[in-house]
Amino acid sequence: MTSSKNLAQRVLGRAGLILYPLPLLIFILIWYVLTKDNPDRQFIFSSPLQVWQAFIKLAASGELLKNTGVTVFEALSGFLLGTTCGAIVGLSFWYSKIVARIAHPYITALATIPIFALAPVVISWFGIGIWSKIMLAFLSTVAVAIVQSYQGAMSIEPRFLQLMHVAGASRWQIFRIVVVPSSFIWVLNAMRLNIGLALLGAFIGEFISSEEGLGCMIVRASSLFDMATVFVGIGALIVVALVLTALIDQLERRLLSWRRN
Amino acid sequence: MNSNAPASSNVLRVVELHFKYAPSPEKLKAGGQTKSLSAWTVQNIDLTVRAGEIVCILGASGCGKSTLLHLIAGLLSPGQGTIELLSGGAQQGRIGYIFQQDALFPWRTVHSNIMLAADLLPDLSHTEADQLIKQYLRTFNLNETILKQYPSELSGGMRQRVSIIQSLMFNPTLFLLDEPFSALDFFTKLKLETEFYQLVKEKNKAAIIVTHDIEESVAMADRVLLMNEDGRLSKEFKIDLGQDRSPQSARGNPAFASYYNDIWAELKAVIGP
Repeated sequence: MTSSKNLAQRVLGRAGLILYPLPLLIFILIWYVLTKDNPDRQFIFSSPLQVWQAFIKLAASGELLKNTGVTVFEALSGFLLGTTCGAIVGLSFWYSKIVARIAHPYITALATIPIFALAPVVISWFGIGIWSKIMLAFLSTVAVAIVQSYQGAMSIEPRFLQLMHVAGASRWQIFRIVVVPSSFIWVLNAMRLNIGLALLGAFIGEFISSEEGLGCMIVRASSLFDMATVFVGIGALIVVALVLTALIDQLERRLLSWRRN
Repeated sequence: MNSNAPASSNVLRVVELHFKYAPSPEKLKAGGQTKSLSAWTVQNIDLTVRAGEIVCILGASGCGKSTLLHLIAGLLSPGQGTIELLSGGAQQGRIGYIFQQDALFPWRTVHSNIMLAADLLPDLSHTEADQLIKQYLRTFNLNETILKQYPSELSGGMRQRVSIIQSLMFNPTLFLLDEPFSALDFFTKLKLETEFYQLVKEKNKAAIIVTHDIEESVAMADRVLLMNEDGRLSKEFKIDLGQDRSPQSARGNPAFASYYNDIWAELKAVIGP
């Protein structure tokens, strides 16, 4: 296992700069060849060149940056709100098994409602501005954070709790010294899942009704059959998701440095 | 609280202790626990431990040894009988619990793990704690550089030493050790036995060691108690291998083999062929 992983690492380390973008380049090449000098296909599939031109235009006008910024702001705000609230609620369920049990079906319900179903309600409550999108991102993320952190709090090594009991620790001390830090892996897992869910929540809100953001940009462009702009929007969403996931990785590396060995 | 001299040196008095686990609904439904429902897990335990004394409890696995330790540690409440921790002084006797596998927090450095006592005890300052750490590191021949490391970077023997130091910081009167050295290789085990033995004797602590290793129990203990399958302490052996013995030198004592054989004969009768 480890030796094959090392091998992969060594090969990718040296040739990674060429190998990583290779599938993408092949994809673009096929796309280019199939749509070249074919206006019918270009109308439906656009073409790499048209997407590039649209990208330059949108970037130069500042429209792309503004829309991306709005979506990132909505998703991140909802993500932080949802993950923080969810982690606090989930971890505090450790205090009371009865409350946790009563809450369980409600959390399951919240976790299983498609965010699409909630979107019209939330938009009519919070308006078509950014607040409704933040709320949708919040609602998409809070259940996962609750479930994950509660699982984390319940799966603590029994020895750690016994040690604390024997040492005469209070329940609050056990919570602070053992429960919170040992649940961190679970909370980080929740964050990883939630980054995508928060983007989805914000995007759906924009998609249904909005005046700015990547979702808005994509809806407007597709209704005008401006496929190049749609693809620029999709590309921007992918880049945002990758960057945010990389940030979580960085956070994990910093917070869980003890796990490296 | 003031009693006569021999009683005041007692650190633990267990009288007529009985305990059984509450039947879990899942096991009841599965019919798995019906047989042992009415039976005690441990019963009729009378045990007194003096300061400076090491008591080993020997028995087959599942006989209730660990349950007894949990009861004494206060992790379980007795069904009948009493458990008294007597520290002699004003302060209540604290217990140091050492697990077979250490209970060090993997997200804390060794230093921060040992500092747990300073987090929990209001009367222990950090500077005071740091001085104690230095002293205990010397006792266990550990280098100060390990303080910055994480438990996962240490060997099993080192982790067990750190666990002992961690519990020493609470200044316990009684150590409870549940198969503490059984996961270690032979030489590390010998070393740790010696270090722990000297610590208990020098600091006049007391220790109850639960083990299934006859050799270890004879080498370490002042008394060896056998525990039956039905959770009773059936037999007591007083081990006298000289005043200034160590677990290592005890193994070379001619009397060692006869203690070993006596206990083995008795244990064989208990656990069957």
